[in-house]
Amino acid sequence: MITHIKTSLLAVCTLLLFATCNLHAELVAIPSLQTRVTDLTQTLTSDQQSQLEAKLKAFELEKGSQIAVLVVPSTKPEEIEQYSIRVVEAWKLGREKQDDGILILVAKNDHKMRIEVGRGLEGAIPDLIAKRVSSEVMSPSFKQGDFYGGINKATDTLMGLVNGEKLAPPPPQANHVNMGFDNSLALFVIGCVVVGAFLSSILGRFFGAGATAGIIGGVSWFILGTLGMSIFVGIMAFVFTLIMPYLFDGTRGGGTYSSGGFGGGGFGSSGGNDSFSGGGGDFSGGGASGDW
Amino acid sequence: MQKIYLKLFTVLLLLNLSGCGYNNFQSLDEESKASWSEVLNQYQRRADLVPNLVNVVKGYAEHEKEVLTQVTEARSKVGSMQVTPELLNDPEAFARFQAAQGQLTSALSRLMVVSENYPNLKADQGFRDLQAQLEGTENRITVARNRYIETIKVYNIAIRSFPQNLTAMMFGYKTKPSFTVENEKAISVAPTVNFGDKK
Repeated sequence: MITHIKTSLLAVCTLLLFATCNLHAELVAIPSLQTRVTDLTQTLTSDQQSQLEAKLKAFELEKGSQIAVLVVPSTKPEEIEQYSIRVVEAWKLGREKQDDGILILVAKNDHKMRIEVGRGLEGAIPDLIAKRVSSEVMSPSFKQGDFYGGINKATDTLMGLVNGEKLAPPPPQANHVNMGFDNSLALFVIGCVVVGAFLSSILGRFFGAGATAGIIGGVSWFILGTLGMSIFVGIMAFVFTLIMPYLFDGTRGGGTYSSGGFGGGGFGSSGGNDSFSGGGGDFSGGGASGDW
Repeated sequence: MQKIYLKLFTVLLLLNLSGCGYNNFQSLDEESKASWSEVLNQYQRRADLVPNLVNVVKGYAEHEKEVLTQVTEARSKVGSMQVTPELLNDPEAFARFQAAQGQLTSALSRLMVVSENYPNLKADQGFRDLQAQLEGTENRITVARNRYIETIKVYNIAIRSFPQNLTAMMFGYKTKPSFTVENEKAISVAPTVNFGDKK
């Protein structure tokens, strides 16, 4: 019965996937988010890009909200609003729950621009203010062909507006722990294997498993922040650690696993490099469009 | 001993229930209600803008009575509607709601077209701000409607596909109405451009 449902659900999902793929086939593709400033038209010099990038990065570290710039040749056949909302839905700028992301989108050949404002910033930057930024700050510079100047001034204005808003302080490490399901699952298994094997060899299998469950549950509480979910994770860890010796037949003693490896790699890698990703912010279509 | 069997049976039944999509319906139903509330929110936001907008336009374009009355009437019609989440389970009420909102949409767009003829109005900062707000709100409505359509699609597929449709039938879950293109006729007719002769 259940497998039957699963297969039918899978079929529906696949169909849906194909349907959306077909639908979006002719539309302008959304570039992958790697840096805060994405220019597909070679309008900005690499110097200007890195200056903007540095400024926006410093702002995120200080205030926590994410501002990104995207310059595309055209958004046709879609209107700039439609394309823009697709981009922010894919990029998820801004922090989760704070929803404090902003996208500055310029469609160069269409002579259109849009400032897409995240849900959490709609109070700091209402539509009419966003409209003024686009018509009074960006448009005059763009008319003279000074794209860098317009974008640069717009980011300054927007940053000033966001600064007036009370937001949750940025996380101390600045790089939020951005764990997908695969990541956390891998972390869970590795944690169980390493900690479980270590503790089992000291405390015996049963108590070792109990202690492991406690540690894993605690860590997941720390990461997830929800008690119910972490209790569930803890129970999973207990069961997993108990049956682990039967899964990995040869490693019963656990001597081959040294302690100290837990999680460090997983967290470190997200903080080390310079790549940029959205924090899970939500948009509801706020902001304003303009032209020049 | 009997009790244990009973318990086992209950557990099995519960498992079966979640297997048949019942729990799935619950979350999808909630999601569709949430996205519907968002749609209502944005429509409300627009309705709140209308009185100010009408006042500003009146100041500059007093004799555009026809359009102004249309907007005011459509606005009051929208305002007088009883809008509850239960509206979702009544396709007819949903259609009426959509028609009323569609009327306001077209009345407002006519008002915006008319206002193009008044340079003083267009230069008024208050009007420009309201215009920006209206544009933003219309865009929000579009986004909210699209998200609602997506949610309802998932919900309706879940309810109609086998074997969940049996569960849906048993517990009285019906498909929910979705938005359609409002004025199909108006869209299929090409707009006529009229130079010069004003009424």
